[in-house]
Amino acid sequence: MQSIDQLIEGSLKGEKLSTSRLISLVERGNKHAPYVLEKIFPHSGEAYYIGVTGPPGAGKSTAVDRLIARLCKNNFSVGVIAVDPSSPFTGGALLGDRVRMHVKHDKMDVFIRSMGSDRVMGGLSRTTKEASRILDASGKQVIIVETVGVGQSELDIAEATDTVIVILTPESGDSIQIMKAGLMEIADIFVVNKADRPGAKDISLSIQGMLDRSLRKRDWTPPIFLTTASLNKGIDELYEGIWSHSRYLQQDSMLEKRRRTQFKLELRNRIESEFSHILWQDIIEEKNIDNLVQEIWARKIDPQNAARRIMGELIEELPGWLQRGG
Amino acid sequence: MLKEREENTCLFSEEHVKLIKEQYEDWFDNNLREADRELSDKYFTQSGIPIKLIYTPADIEDVRYSEDIGFSGLPPYLRGVYPNMYRGRLFTLRQLAGLGAPEDCNERVRYLLDHGATGVNILFDLPTIRGYNSDDPEAEGNVGQCGAAVDSIWDIDAFFEGIDLGAVSSSVVTHLPSTSLVIPGMYFAVAEQRGTALTQLAGTCQNDFIMETCVGSGYEILPPAVSFRMQCDVVEWICKNVPRWNPISYNGYNLREAGTDAVTEVGIAIANAIATSEELIKRGMSFDEFGPRMSFFWDLHNDFFEEVAKCRASRKVWYKIAKERFGAQNTKSMLMRYHVQTAGQTLPATEPLNNIARSAIQGLAAVFGGCQSLHLDSFDEAYSAPTEEAALVSLRSQQIIQAETGVVNTVDPLAGSYYVEYLTDEMVKRIFNYVEKIEGLGGLLSAVEGGWLHREIANYNNEYQKKIESGEMKIVGVNFMEADQADVAPIKVFEYPETFSRQKAKLERLRKERNDQKLKESMDILREKCHTDENLYPYCLDAVKNLSTLGEIEEIFREEYGLWAFPLL
Amino acid sequence: MDRKIKVVIAKLGLDIHWRGVYLVAQYLKEAGMDVVYLGNKFPAEIVEAAIEEDADVVGLSSLCGNHLALGPMVVDMLKEKGLNNVKVFLGGVIPLDHAKRLEGIYGIHRVYLPETPMQTIVDEISESVRDAA
Repeated sequence: MQSIDQLIEGSLKGEKLSTSRLISLVERGNKHAPYVLEKIFPHSGEAYYIGVTGPPGAGKSTAVDRLIARLCKNNFSVGVIAVDPSSPFTGGALLGDRVRMHVKHDKMDVFIRSMGSDRVMGGLSRTTKEASRILDASGKQVIIVETVGVGQSELDIAEATDTVIVILTPESGDSIQIMKAGLMEIADIFVVNKADRPGAKDISLSIQGMLDRSLRKRDWTPPIFLTTASLNKGIDELYEGIWSHSRYLQQDSMLEKRRRTQFKLELRNRIESEFSHILWQDIIEEKNIDNLVQEIWARKIDPQNAARRIMGELIEELPGWLQRGG
Repeated sequence: MLKEREENTCLFSEEHVKLIKEQYEDWFDNNLREADRELSDKYFTQSGIPIKLIYTPADIEDVRYSEDIGFSGLPPYLRGVYPNMYRGRLFTLRQLAGLGAPEDCNERVRYLLDHGATGVNILFDLPTIRGYNSDDPEAEGNVGQCGAAVDSIWDIDAFFEGIDLGAVSSSVVTHLPSTSLVIPGMYFAVAEQRGTALTQLAGTCQNDFIMETCVGSGYEILPPAVSFRMQCDVVEWICKNVPRWNPISYNGYNLREAGTDAVTEVGIAIANAIATSEELIKRGMSFDEFGPRMSFFWDLHNDFFEEVAKCRASRKVWYKIAKERFGAQNTKSMLMRYHVQTAGQTLPATEPLNNIARSAIQGLAAVFGGCQSLHLDSFDEAYSAPTEEAALVSLRSQQIIQAETGVVNTVDPLAGSYYVEYLTDEMVKRIFNYVEKIEGLGGLLSAVEGGWLHREIANYNNEYQKKIESGEMKIVGVNFMEADQADVAPIKVFEYPETFSRQKAKLERLRKERNDQKLKESMDILREKCHTDENLYPYCLDAVKNLSTLGEIEEIFREEYGLWAFPLL
Repeated sequence: MDRKIKVVIAKLGLDIHWRGVYLVAQYLKEAGMDVVYLGNKFPAEIVEAAIEEDADVVGLSSLCGNHLALGPMVVDMLKEKGLNNVKVFLGGVIPLDHAKRLEGIYGIHRVYLPETPMQTIVDEISESVRDAA
């Protein structure tokens, strides 16, 4: 087995196996993960990050496959993180994105990694971020993060990438569904895939309508591209659309601002999660909680005031706790 | 036409049925053990129809003899498509041939014809089925395995060397519409070169877009709409040009082998026949122009009586659809003709000789069902395409059914069995319901595009496996009366390691000898025609005659239409 | 080591029988594994995927006679790329003597013939990873 330092060194040189093993370490929350990230981070930041999301069956992986081919044709090296949902019951996942991805490894510099959505210690957004930084540091110039847009993951993707592409199809249902899914807010680019099917025009009109009615002030109006990814139709336009968003972000240091905002958010999230980790591991004792539950059950106190009481005690005790060295 | 009667023609009078019902209650309450009464509704057929302990006239009280059952050779054709059935013409004994290079197959075909086979099913290796040349990197490891390698018209010529194409009935098991545009064309071109007119040729090609997209599919295939259009192109062109050829065989078989049930098997095939008919009518053909040439392909599975009922029911369903929905005038358009193969899925690798019994019993059910053409799977099915010994045993089993058992001496001998008539009636209803369900999904093409059928297959498959693992479904020697592993008989498997080099050498010679200019012209036209509504058949035929390879034509399709992603994941 | 097992699973070459391998994939998923499903792929692509996914196990399915040609290639290429720890399982329609050769000289960890209960496959894959850890 190679040492962690050898893996880091190998990965920074672009060795696939080392990169792959480093990703596994952060995925599993291995004890060496912080060290790996510390060493890797200074080498990241060069790549451009693209997020791809949308409902199941929208053709995301096919679209990503065509984008990979397009990027490689222009001599970009590409890293892909493809996230599929895990079973809530067993934790297992069937990760099928590679079925649709065809990489000619002798001609294309591509690294694809599949992840189950609950594989991750500390949330999807954290692991995809860390894994994409490892790919970034290993020399990939474009990173694509693909997730199924159901629930939280599409919001995560907006916090981790520079350009977010939301892929829908004529079957994606009425506009309300799209609104509900929170996809409208995060999209920098809309794609209506399977555009050769009836209803493609309707859905692009309804997206347009929603954008027009949206109260949010926009400097960037998300374009809507019609594609049939399986036939490689509309991919060139989409490709150009990504770079035109990228050029837009270059103005007035907008990319920098976006990434700074993302770092700030990430930092906050990390503080929160570190804090809650400490809170539950080291500070609050389970039996105190159980005692409070007993009081709540007896209707002596309500949950909200119980929480306040415990926080009050905590704040009083905190200085002493910190002095004792935590 | 038969004389018609005004009054009720139910099999049994109302009063009689009433009496039988009362007697049944009495019998049930007073003669059965507690356990039998409790278990009375816990038995099911393979497709989930509850089975009673006993059937009586009360279970078929609504069945009318003349309208619902009738006579062989008359509507609704439940009892058979010909009046005299097997007295007039025994079912065709079809045997599979195809392993290695076409030259090897030629030997096998002659062997089978010499031993009394009256038709030949030609199987292809995977590269051929999926439209790749033998020397394509994609074909690696599969050339000549599980079927014959066919790359060009030369191979079809070699396959049938010394065999009179005007005298043999060939089933060209192409599976996919995209290759059905090409391989039967090679056969037609060879026939023409030998001076046999297209009008003399008899045979079938399988040509089913469900095979291409759902069942025997890889993960990337031509899009369903393209595959469906090709399926219709093949039917249209062949009906107009090769009148004795069946241009389509709606393949319920492989769908069933995928773990689905009898209702799904027939329902999907009929839904496909409906979709095809509608498309061809849209193209300006009348139903009677292609109706007589539609054929079907059923799987004869383990559940003996349900399978007999399925075969009988399918004829009636098709008759009603042809007559009532499409207004068929020609009687031949209303007859469902089908080929039956016994269920390979039921033949385990463990204790393979047991499979001789399984196939024979299934074959018997097929004959009770009234098939026109039968193939019995060989006992070594689980290992490979059949060896010569195994193929002969299954041919002999069919001949035993024909010559020794006497079951062919009268028409539809199980008719009138309360159970069989009940099941038949139930199958008819269930098949119609299933077809309706598919139409509710926007038709078969939409159901395929949306991944519905893939999910359906995966679910069935999962259930099937669970039934086996839980022991609910018993397989002798496997999970019931388990075999001692040491007893597993090693079976000889055919290997043709030299096929690849032979095919490769032939392809090299072909590429040298053919006229590049003429080939390029026909290929350019084909490429252009892909984007029009014109029938692709004549353009493929032209390319084949100019010594295009199968792989080259298929590559044009793949490039022009793109590949469709498997909708399951 | 209690961590999720990662399996890369593929149909070898052109094979068209998708249901068996899909069924196995589902059972492995139900057993809590992460199953990267490749569809139909050739040895070089399978090995590349095993590298990128850091697979513990590679599962191959072959029902049409390409097992002897392509199966051992996967084993050899994995070794060549330094993935000595990855175990290769192969299932499908395979003559008994071929299965013995594949498990013997060709270095396939286990060969599964038809009628193998799914639970056996799940258990043996789990064990092989546990033993390696």
